[in-house]
Amino acid sequence: MATHNLIRNAAVIVGALLLSAAVATAQTTPASTQSVPRTADGKPDLSGVWQAINTAAWDLQGHHARKGIPAGLSVVVGGAIPYQPWAAAKKRENFENRLNADPEAKCYLPGVPRITYMPYPFQIVQTPAQLAFLYEYVHATRNVFVGSEHPPGHIDWWMGDSRARWEGDTLVVDVVDFNDATWFDRAGNFHSDELHVIERYTRTGPDHMKYEATIEDPKVFTRPWSISMPLYRRQESEIQLLEYECYAFDEEFHALP
Amino acid sequence: MSIDVRGSRVWMTALLAAIGIASTLPVTAQEGGGDRRLPPVANPGWVPPRMPDGQINIQGYWNQRNNVTTYSLQDGEGDRAEHVRITGGRAATGRPIVDPSSGRIPYQQWSAAKAKFLFDQHQGAERPENLDPVARGFMEGTPRINLQTGFQILQTPDQVTFLYEYGHHFRVVPIDNRPHLDADILLWMGDSRGRWEGNTLVIDVTNHNDQSWFDQVGSFHSTGLRVTERWTIVGPDRIDYEAIINDPQVFTQPWKIQMNYGRNADPTYEQMESAIWEGNRAVELMVRPSIATGTASTSDGPDASSKAAR
Repeated sequence: MATHNLIRNAAVIVGALLLSAAVATAQTTPASTQSVPRTADGKPDLSGVWQAINTAAWDLQGHHARKGIPAGLSVVVGGAIPYQPWAAAKKRENFENRLNADPEAKCYLPGVPRITYMPYPFQIVQTPAQLAFLYEYVHATRNVFVGSEHPPGHIDWWMGDSRARWEGDTLVVDVVDFNDATWFDRAGNFHSDELHVIERYTRTGPDHMKYEATIEDPKVFTRPWSISMPLYRRQESEIQLLEYECYAFDEEFHALP
Repeated sequence: MSIDVRGSRVWMTALLAAIGIASTLPVTAQEGGGDRRLPPVANPGWVPPRMPDGQINIQGYWNQRNNVTTYSLQDGEGDRAEHVRITGGRAATGRPIVDPSSGRIPYQQWSAAKAKFLFDQHQGAERPENLDPVARGFMEGTPRINLQTGFQILQTPDQVTFLYEYGHHFRVVPIDNRPHLDADILLWMGDSRGRWEGNTLVIDVTNHNDQSWFDQVGSFHSTGLRVTERWTIVGPDRIDYEAIINDPQVFTQPWKIQMNYGRNADPTYEQMESAIWEGNRAVELMVRPSIATGTASTSDGPDASSKAAR
């Protein structure tokens, strides 16, 4: 019995030591700095084909399933979007009219951050001074310039004007110059042309990236709010962007003979 | 600077596309920069710079210097006269087809008849599907996009990326010897695979759909189209371009276009958003159902929803 106890106690002690060693390693060198591939200039390499896997495209907030719509957890940090009272009423109206009123139904450029979590892949082409974000959905593009200023505004653009900086290993993209014609999702969540989005892209491993976006719009919300979600690297060895030309499906294009 | 999306450049571009002269007016000349002179070929022995991974470095902003428009690829007096009529005297002089020497697209008998039909329709289309697809906001296809607009080239290991200003078109060209897509996958811009031959980036483009046109007057192809592009850097500020166009279902022989691109010397140049579909009214403004013989209707299709949207 005594021998048994000794062995068991030793096993517990060794186990505890291994565990504490593992904890110490995790604390001193997080996985995000260990395993992140880097470009020649030492920045985290964000290039590749990425895609969100969640239901934010239907509704940023938590929702139960409807016919053809999967249920999903909220991607809004804290759960609720802090609308001003008039804007909360407008959001409800948008929801009621969503099948026709959603700009996606008209195939318009979907804006930021919505383009990020639509159910299509996107590709990041990374150079030191410029990252091109290429999206399969309606071949949308964003040119994200590193270390330069927004142009004099205001400019009404669908995809906004994106300027980036590196904060440690996080690419922080400041986006302004939006029009008021895009929504955040198919549930009617919306903004005005005073929208200001601050995106944060942080690689957390070889195949994952954390995406966070802080949303400011003093015309519509009572305070800034944020969304957060993982992005996943597409694993297919020959993955490439194809095309989703939303507005080009509805007719036969063949000319009369 | 204050630009309203419904009030200026975006709207103008859509309208100009809708009336068929987008490629000939200053709004397009802005896209890609203003200098139209052709930079010189470098002296013999010039060595082009290279990227860290060994690729020839052709990064930068480039635009076409041949006064070629997307109105008509062909060297036809009728085309020229119509172009002058539409543009009020701004005749484009660039004639991109160098083979065959006639400057004409070598259609087969059946396809020549269809091309003539589409050419006649471009002055008054009876049906939406007889309109130039680009006027309707659809993608340009390859090589037409190279006639349309200035572009930026970005190079990363195993890949060359073309970012075109007009309509935010892009092409990602892998240079890692991967095979083409399955033949069943048809794309507006085709599927591009590149390789370097000396100072030339050779791009093989397949998997085209049969909905894109080569120009505004209905020059067309089938899904059998294969485009072989050769982008040769011949000086610090100049790329010479040629594309061999092969489609045995439509043409009697392969034919070739040539153009030259110059580097945009403006160090502050950035591309602006060019939203083409949003607000497009081509079907509403251009289809003429009053002369229709078929079942044309302006209420058909995606444009109806965009018309009702605002």
